[in-house]
Amino acid sequence: MSKSKLKRYNWFIFVLLFIGSLTMIFPFVWMILSSFKTVRDVYTYPPKWLPSEWKWTNFETVFRMIPFGRYYLNSIFTSVAQTFLQIVLSIFGAYCITFLDFPGKKKLTVLIRSTMFVPMVVTLVPMYLIVAKLHGIDTYGGIILPQVFSAFTLFLISSFFAAIPKDLVDSARIDGCGYFRIMGTIVIPNSKASISTAALFSFLGHWKSYTWPLIITNKDKYRTLPIGMKYLVQESSSEYQVMMAASVMAILPVLILFVLFEKQLVKSVTLTGMKA
Amino acid sequence: MKKVIIVLIAMLVATGMVFAQAATETAAAEARPEVVGIKIWYSISGANGEFFKSQVEAFLAAHPEIKAEEITYTGSYADSATKISAARLAGEAPDMIITSASQLYPGEDGNFRMEELAKDAELNYADFQEGILEYAKYNGQLAALPFAISTPIVYYNKDLVKKAGLDLVANPPKTWDEFVEVCKKVMAANEGVSGFDASDSVWLFKSMLYQNGNPVVEQKGETVTPVFDNESGIEVATYWKKLVDEGVMAAQQHDTAEKRFQAGTLAFVSATSNRLAKWAGNLGFELGAIEMPYFKTPSVALGGSTVTILATDKWKEDACWQLIKYVLNTENQTAFSLASGYLPIRKSSLENADVKAYIADSELYAVATKQLSYAWAYTHFGAMGSMDNFFWYALDNIESGKSTPAEAMKQAVKETIAEL
Repeated sequence: MSKSKLKRYNWFIFVLLFIGSLTMIFPFVWMILSSFKTVRDVYTYPPKWLPSEWKWTNFETVFRMIPFGRYYLNSIFTSVAQTFLQIVLSIFGAYCITFLDFPGKKKLTVLIRSTMFVPMVVTLVPMYLIVAKLHGIDTYGGIILPQVFSAFTLFLISSFFAAIPKDLVDSARIDGCGYFRIMGTIVIPNSKASISTAALFSFLGHWKSYTWPLIITNKDKYRTLPIGMKYLVQESSSEYQVMMAASVMAILPVLILFVLFEKQLVKSVTLTGMKA
Repeated sequence: MKKVIIVLIAMLVATGMVFAQAATETAAAEARPEVVGIKIWYSISGANGEFFKSQVEAFLAAHPEIKAEEITYTGSYADSATKISAARLAGEAPDMIITSASQLYPGEDGNFRMEELAKDAELNYADFQEGILEYAKYNGQLAALPFAISTPIVYYNKDLVKKAGLDLVANPPKTWDEFVEVCKKVMAANEGVSGFDASDSVWLFKSMLYQNGNPVVEQKGETVTPVFDNESGIEVATYWKKLVDEGVMAAQQHDTAEKRFQAGTLAFVSATSNRLAKWAGNLGFELGAIEMPYFKTPSVALGGSTVTILATDKWKEDACWQLIKYVLNTENQTAFSLASGYLPIRKSSLENADVKAYIADSELYAVATKQLSYAWAYTHFGAMGSMDNFFWYALDNIESGKSTPAEAMKQAVKETIAEL
C-alpha cells in the first residue's frame, strides 16, 4: 500500500471514528451543560448549547427534594453487595456446569438457562410475598438477596471457563488439588478479564435497578438512587435541569468503574462481541 | 351441700374474673392509643409531591396524636398499582393511598366505608364538583375521594397560529372537523410543522368517544360491557385514522408529542392540564389553549389521582380521615391546585380570590376550569388498565394501517371481554 493511499485510508477511518465518538459523547456533554441551565434555557428552541447563567442551584435542588446522599450510599452498598455475591455464586455455578459431571447436569443447565426468559414482572409479586413472609420488607437483605442470582452472569463466566483446557484442570486433580484450589489457582486467574466484565455488567444492572427496590422498600433509609431520580423526573417535566444535575452525580461511580476496568472490558468485548 | 355451694361460688367468681379480664382486654383494644401511627403511600412526584408532603407535615405538626410511620412515594401510576397490589396480597398494605383509580382497591373488596365517612359535615361533601366526585366511585358507590384531578387540554403555539393569520382566542374551532381545517392552515403557513398530536392518546380517545355518545363501557350492576365497537365508536376511530391520513397527526409518535410541541415543531398538543403551571412562561413561544373540540357534545375525560383509606383498624382509619379532611379542605385544595396545575375540585375553590385572579389573568387556566363544567368520569372497573392497553394497541394498528378502524375496535372489545 502506497504512503498516500495509507494516509487517505487513515483519514477516512479517523473521520468515521470522530463522528462516532461525537455521537457517543454528545448526550454526556448535553447532560453536563443542561445541569447548569435555567428552566427557560432547557426549553429554548432552537436549543442553546451553553447556559445563559451557570446555575449551581440545580444541584442544591436535588439535595433539597430527595435525600440524595442517603440514596447514593444505599445504591453503592446494595450494588456492591449484589455484584460481589452474584459473582461468587456465578463462579461456583459456572465451575460446576463447565468442569463437573453429575446426574441431571443437562436438565439443570436448561432449567437455569430458562430463567433468562422469564420477565421480572412475572416473578415480582410472588417474590414480594416470599420476602414479606421472611420479614424482608424495608431491609437491605430484602433488596439484595432476591437479585443475587443471575443466569446471564453465570453463563457469561461459564463461557470463559470453557476456554480453559480441561486437561489443565484434570492434571491439577491428579496432582491432588481440591475443587477450591483448582478454582483459586487455575480457573479464576485465567478468567480475570471475563470475571471483571461480568462484575461490571452486574454492577451496572444493579446500579440502575428500579422496580424491585421501589416495591420492597417504603422508608427513605433503604431507598436507592433510581427511585429518587424517578421522583425528580416524573411529573416535573419542566425541571429537566434538576434531573440532569442528579444524573451527572449519579453516573460518577459508573464512570469510575469504566475507567478502572476499561482494559478488561475492551478485551472481553472483543472476545464475545457484547456491548455494554 | 356446703361444699357444693362453695364450689359453685368459686366457679362463678372464676367465670366472672375471666369475663372481667376479657372485658378489660376488649376495652384496652378499643381504647385509642396515645399516638396513632399511619402509613401513607402516594404517587405524586417532583415539586407537586413536595407540596403534598409539606401539607402532610403541617397537619402532623398540628396533630401530635397522629404519627406518619411512612410517607412513601410509590412511583408512576403503573408502579404504584404493582406495589399496592403486592402489599395487599402480603397483608402489608398501607393505611392511606393517593394514586390513580385508588377506589379500585376498596371497591374490589366491597369496602365502601367512604360513603359513611363522606357524610362528615367537616368535609362538606356538597362542595365537590359533581363530575369529579363520580371519578372517585366504584360500581356507583363512593370508595375514594378526588385529590389531584386533571383533564386533557389542547394547547397550541400562538406564534405558529399567528403566522397563519388566525386568532383562536376570538374564533376557536368548536368541532373536530373545524379543528382539522385550522391545523391544515397552520401547517401550510409553517413549513416543517406538524398539526396535532396527543401525548396520552387513549385518554383523548375516550373523551372523543363520549363526545360522540359512546360511554366506552356500560355497567349494569356489577356487569361491565365494553361498547366502543358500535357505530359511534367506529366513527371516532375513523376520524382518528383521518387525522393520520390527512397528515395532521403523525402515526405512532405520541411518545414524543410533548417534546415536539416544546421544540416548536408541533402546533397543537393534547396533554394533561397540569402541564399548564409548568409550561406557562417557560416555553420559547407564547402558549395558548382552546377548549377541547367535540363531535356531538362537549366532553373531557377526567384523570389524575384519588385518595382512599385501606386501614381496617378503627383508630388508623380515623387518623387517615382527619388527614384527608385536612388536605381536602378548601384552603389546602386551592393552594395545591394553584401550585401544581391540578384542577380545583371544590366549588368554593372557584370562589377563592386567588383562583379568580388567576383565571382572570390566565386564559389557559380559564380554559381548564371552564372544561370542568362538562368533565366526564368514566366507569372504573377491575380490568380498566387492561382495556386501556387494548385501546393503545387498537389506535396503534389504526395509525399504522394494520387494521381498519372497525377491525381495531372489534378486536379491542373482544380482548376486553376476555379480560373481564
